[in-house]
Amino acid sequence: MKRIDTEILVIGGGATGTGVAWDAALRGYRVVLVERRDLTHGTTGRYHGLLHSGGRYVVKDPVSATECIHENRILRKTHTHCIEDTGGFFVVTPEDEGDYPDKFVAGCAATGVPCNEISLKEAMRREPLLNPRISRVFEVPDGSADSFLATHATAQAARMAGAQLLNYHQVTGLIIEGGDGEKRVVGAHVRDVARGEDLEIRAQMTISATGAWANVVAHMAGISISVIPGKGTMVAMNHRVLNTVVNRCKMPADGDIIVPVHTVAVIGTTDERVADPENLRIEPWEVQLMLEEGEKLVPGISRARVVRAWAGVRPLYQEDYAGSSRDATRKFALLDHKERHNIDGFITITGGKWTTFRLMAEKTVDMATSYLGERKPCITATSSVPGVDQGPYWLGHRLHEIEEKKLQGQLVCECELVTRSMLENAVRQNPTITLDDLRRDVRLGMGPCQGGWCTYRAVGIVHEMTVSETGHPAESGTAEWDVAYMQSPARNVSSSASAGAPAIPDDERALFNPNLLLRDFLQERWKGVTPILWGQQLKQERLDELIYLSVMNVDHLPDRDLSSPVTEFYRYDTTPNGNLEAPE
Amino acid sequence: MSGHSIDLLVIGAGWSGLMAAYTAANAGLKVQVIAKGLGSMHWAAGSIDLFGYAPDAPDTPIHRPLEYVTGKLAKEQPQHPYALLGKDRLVAALDSFVALTHELGLSYGGAAQPGENLMLPTAVGAARPTYLAPQAQLGGDLGRSEPMVIVGFEGLRDFYPQLIAENLAKQGIQARAVLLPFDVLTDRRDSNTVQQAHGMDDPARRSRLISELKKLAKTGERIGLPPILGLDDHAAVLFDMQSQTGATVFEIATLPPSVPGMRLFKAWRNRLNKMGVRVDSNMEVVSAQSEPSSNGAGPSVHLVESATSARPMKHRAGGYVLATGGIMGGGFNSDHEGHVWETIFDLPLTTPQARSEWFNPVFINPAGHPVFSGGVAVNEAMQPLDGDGEVVYSNLWVAGDLLAHDNPILQRSLEGTAIATGFAAAKAAAAAS
Amino acid sequence: MHTESWQSVGPTLDECIKCNICASYCPVAAVTDLFPGPKFVGPQAQRFRENGQPHSPDHSVDYCSGCRVCNEVCPTGVRITEINTRARAELAEEHGIPLRNRMLGRNDVLAKLGSIVPGLANFGLHNGLSRTLADSVMGISKGAKLPRWANDTFAKWMKKTAEQRLKSDKKVVYYHGCSTMYYEPFIGKATVAVFEHHGYEVIVPEQGCCGLPLLNNAEFPEARKYHQRNLDWLTPYARQGYPIVGTSSSCTLTLKEEAPEMLDMHGPEAHELTMAVWDIFEWLRELQESGQLQTDFRPLPMVLPYHSPCQYRAHRIGSPSLEIMSLIPELDIRESHARCCGGAGTYVYKKEKYQIAMDVGAELFDFVKEQGAEVTMTSCNSETCRWHIETGTDLPCRHPIEILAAAYGLYDLDTRDLV
Ligand SMILES: Cc1cc2nc3c(=O)[nH]c(=O)nc-3n(C[C@H](O)[C@H](O)[C@H](O)COP(=O)(O)OP(=O)(O)OC[C@H]3O[C@@H](n4cnc5c(N)ncnc54)[C@H](O)[C@@H]3O)c2cc1C
Repeated sequence: MKRIDTEILVIGGGATGTGVAWDAALRGYRVVLVERRDLTHGTTGRYHGLLHSGGRYVVKDPVSATECIHENRILRKTHTHCIEDTGGFFVVTPEDEGDYPDKFVAGCAATGVPCNEISLKEAMRREPLLNPRISRVFEVPDGSADSFLATHATAQAARMAGAQLLNYHQVTGLIIEGGDGEKRVVGAHVRDVARGEDLEIRAQMTISATGAWANVVAHMAGISISVIPGKGTMVAMNHRVLNTVVNRCKMPADGDIIVPVHTVAVIGTTDERVADPENLRIEPWEVQLMLEEGEKLVPGISRARVVRAWAGVRPLYQEDYAGSSRDATRKFALLDHKERHNIDGFITITGGKWTTFRLMAEKTVDMATSYLGERKPCITATSSVPGVDQGPYWLGHRLHEIEEKKLQGQLVCECELVTRSMLENAVRQNPTITLDDLRRDVRLGMGPCQGGWCTYRAVGIVHEMTVSETGHPAESGTAEWDVAYMQSPARNVSSSASAGAPAIPDDERALFNPNLLLRDFLQERWKGVTPILWGQQLKQERLDELIYLSVMNVDHLPDRDLSSPVTEFYRYDTTPNGNLEAPE
Repeated sequence: MSGHSIDLLVIGAGWSGLMAAYTAANAGLKVQVIAKGLGSMHWAAGSIDLFGYAPDAPDTPIHRPLEYVTGKLAKEQPQHPYALLGKDRLVAALDSFVALTHELGLSYGGAAQPGENLMLPTAVGAARPTYLAPQAQLGGDLGRSEPMVIVGFEGLRDFYPQLIAENLAKQGIQARAVLLPFDVLTDRRDSNTVQQAHGMDDPARRSRLISELKKLAKTGERIGLPPILGLDDHAAVLFDMQSQTGATVFEIATLPPSVPGMRLFKAWRNRLNKMGVRVDSNMEVVSAQSEPSSNGAGPSVHLVESATSARPMKHRAGGYVLATGGIMGGGFNSDHEGHVWETIFDLPLTTPQARSEWFNPVFINPAGHPVFSGGVAVNEAMQPLDGDGEVVYSNLWVAGDLLAHDNPILQRSLEGTAIATGFAAAKAAAAAS
Repeated sequence: MHTESWQSVGPTLDECIKCNICASYCPVAAVTDLFPGPKFVGPQAQRFRENGQPHSPDHSVDYCSGCRVCNEVCPTGVRITEINTRARAELAEEHGIPLRNRMLGRNDVLAKLGSIVPGLANFGLHNGLSRTLADSVMGISKGAKLPRWANDTFAKWMKKTAEQRLKSDKKVVYYHGCSTMYYEPFIGKATVAVFEHHGYEVIVPEQGCCGLPLLNNAEFPEARKYHQRNLDWLTPYARQGYPIVGTSSSCTLTLKEEAPEMLDMHGPEAHELTMAVWDIFEWLRELQESGQLQTDFRPLPMVLPYHSPCQYRAHRIGSPSLEIMSLIPELDIRESHARCCGGAGTYVYKKEKYQIAMDVGAELFDFVKEQGAEVTMTSCNSETCRWHIETGTDLPCRHPIEILAAAYGLYDLDTRDLV
């Protein structure tokens, strides 16, 4: 069996785990990170997209608010290109009565969240579709952030500092030495789920950054921690609708915020206790509620096209849990299992927010340091990840680059403007087990047609690469792929357009089966549209069916019994059930 | 206006609409076609699927579809559109369509053995059952034994020869792939097949490709290409390709826009124009008025109105064929509360009115998704029926994807039902006038 | 320009199912790589263009000719052309509008100026030297046919002939537009003759440019003023129940739909005007349907290729000109199904677009040629199209109302004057 020795083993490739790996590697530790699927497979890849200003917490959770604004300022520098400076509004709708607005203003002042009341006229000028019956508007420095890109960029920064990141590697057990009172975690049993191989990773310190799965991993050490999985459902509209984050100015509740992220506007969220953090059902009442609440901010929005819905789980930690899960604090939980459970070599970091991942990582590595001994100080707050030279994200950048470089004929995903070279580079440099991995890399299939056209094209291209003899494996194999620019069409213009597709390393070729890629991705896209299929999107889906059944006959391709590590996950039933009413 | 200047107004310009218009005009009616936009012919493979997979054996293609739909299917599913049509009308419709394609210079043909399904390679290399296909697709018949060379072009985003060849090989079909440089095809930037097909109308471009094909094809091999063999001058392009390479050259349909469909649509529309039938798109019918029952005939459609830049425009005709396509074509709309409705006459539908009954959790599903099987129930004359089985409007006939009791994409019967029901609707309208 | 409502054209991008039918039929994308096609620049690009960006991401939308073939073939109702027009306006707001486009946008002003001393203006504009200069300095294409100022404006003629004009209880308001006013008053004369032939008294109220050239050249604020002016002038007639009938298919389209939609002017006034405006043949068809159309036609023995222009098709009223003209004995009308003549309003006058306009037009010009040598003239409803078709075919092109007036024996197609 393969064995890897390291100083720090990080479990979980979400924002937090990746941040920990980055921080620890920068301080000079040897680090290995394992993620059982692709990076950001967990909550990080299913969140709402808000770079918090802290505004949402100024009344309810002032400590969080201060953390947020602090980190908000840092991330704009460390992860510049992953963040869009949308600004945020807190708006008082006719339903938001009472003294909350005054408390909000006071809270902002107390927590240091900059807040400016602006005129209604100015607000409507900037956001013409906003509810005209709004009475007050406060502006805060909210932003929107691409967690896929940010995590990849953090991961690359970690790699550049020496960390090793292994995706599709699942921890199946912790290696524990010593008896009662002397227990010590010395690493983990890990399964390479893509290749079906087992390995052992030995480490002096094991850090579980598994978010909502933290308790599952804790169980592997024989202990239990109180992580409340709170499911949140989000609904993405087909176009931006708004360009500013818009929050209701009231105590945070369901469906009270719309975040413009990339080409869509996302209404969110709900908050429901669930047992299983993995397979999340999207209930019709949740979708309904999002649209109804969305109406209060943007009248008419419920009649616009919805492109997709998804859900994530909040890893909410509370020592003495009581009451509904929205009340649980959002501050993060850093658990020293030596102190709490007398288990050495094991730390859990969970809870918090995407916005505070860097801070969480810093505190976690500080704690590890207290066991492993001092190295270099934490420098993540003043470092930056690769790619920041591109400047802040702006919506038009892809379109602009495609125009400038005349790449229109190269588009593979026409909705989200993904070129062939972007896709090829993503395939070449990042192990691709499913097309969903490429989606997270370059936004393949995330637009209105939800894979209708690009699924076929992507499969064709990936296949071409696996059989290609004529590529440039040397060129591609040497350097670590520059994820920093993976979303930039202009930075991924292939130098030799007609020299054939670049090849993929041999050991990865075996992982590709085009027919499986095709089926998996069609199913993955289906899973996220069934909760919102009606009107235009239903029409779209029928056209997509025409393409894949009538024209392509993919349901009668060979290799029908193959499955990938994610096939079952994609098949989880998210079709609407009859529950139109929210449970009490 | 009394004594309508138009006998039959066909709403919809897809397969069923054009077939209805053509049939009615042939029967001597004064016909007009109006449509919101252009439709299904531009999306699908351009062939006529009659029936591909039976619900009880979804893995095995139907061998003799005509026999199946008029026999077993008709018995087991008496409400299926084919069952309502019966064999005679179905055969007459197909014959009429084939005769039309000959006239248009875009001949369709079938399997070597009459009555059997053809098996054609798809753009992923699956074997697709279809009944009638344009001449240019027939060369790909998988029932024939000659090996194939599938030729693609580097950077042409809608065609992947290696994928096709590999999958065909997995199914025991001799196929290899060749990728030619893109500039053999064009110096233009865009790489969609319509544009490339249009480029091949130019004899100079054509001969550049022919000389490449000559170099690469081995004796006895047939040559499979993306659908680029000309747009307006297709017959000549196909002829040149075959005669100058000495090989069978065929097209494999791929992603929309459908080149074979567009060829047919253009020629068919011209033909209708010549027959005195106007085909106007950009005319969305937004409302209808009916007349109550008079002398026992039951209620009838009085007029329909289409949206214009100002006042709605009234269209009055003796009869109306509704061929607006189902969910895909826009004939039905639906909302988040689970309502599905027919957009012009609000005809009664069999579609379940609850989202919880619309889908199966797995996309590729032999049972299909129930929302797509619902539609307008009709009698044998293609007249829409209400829940009690009564005819809704005496001068309205319904055809194509709107019809209930089938799922034409899943069953691979989309064009077959569209053509046959369009034909039947027109015949019934002609008989009534 | 930051107006946006759910009523406006922007949200129709949600209807797009990416099917590419529009891209397959776009006549401009078919002939040039400079235009990546309606789907790309329209519903697709629109998702990447929003308020308040650092700068407009794209510019190739400027090559959209505005012909609306995409709207015509779109199966789902995306207002692609209008999305493009709006995007051009955004571009303009950012980069400013070149003097040339400002000039082309204000053809009413230009037209008025020229009409003061038409002979001199014609010489100034039409001599070879000035065209060369205009071409190189301003970027106004040399090959494109520019109209000639008439010696008398339509208004002058109306005034001069006021005594002879028919008085009647049946009244119709004539919206003649700039071209008839300054360049082609004969179209107005033919129209008045046809109205009077049906017993209608013609009211020609104060009126201004419909604003279409401004919309096409992305001057939205100015276009808004123009439309408001016309609302003020014309809506009172609409309220009295008079039909407001026009001969320029693009002007009537603008009054009916384009201006309110593009400019987000959806007030009740605009709606009243929309409902009162008619294309002349649309209105004649109504007469026909109620049995009031005069049918005392003389035979017009000739072959007449007829092109229904894009702007006319965009009315979505079918082809009333064709329907009415086909009542004329011995007139052998050959309807062109060409997508666009290529001229597309002021498009052809822009130097960088001239060749595109000619290439797009080839479909129509070839069609005319195919109709044989006996063809002596063609017909089309829109003035700028007529001028472009004349350039492309070397044959005179007449408005259908001229043909109709001739068939009633009221008008001479060669001298272009009343008989
Ligand atoms: C609905 C919703 C909306 C949110 N919106 C926002 C927002 O707008 N802004 C914001 O700042 N925050 C938001 N958050 C919070 C934020 O998304 C999370 O706090 C953050 O993403 C958590 O990151 P993480 O790395 O801790 O956890 P995760 O991203 O869940 O990462 C844990 C990882 O561990 C992996 N893993 C689990 N078990 C194993 C194992 N055995 N072996 C290997 N790997 C394993 C999982 O696959 C997963 O990838 C939102 C949360 C939810 C639920």
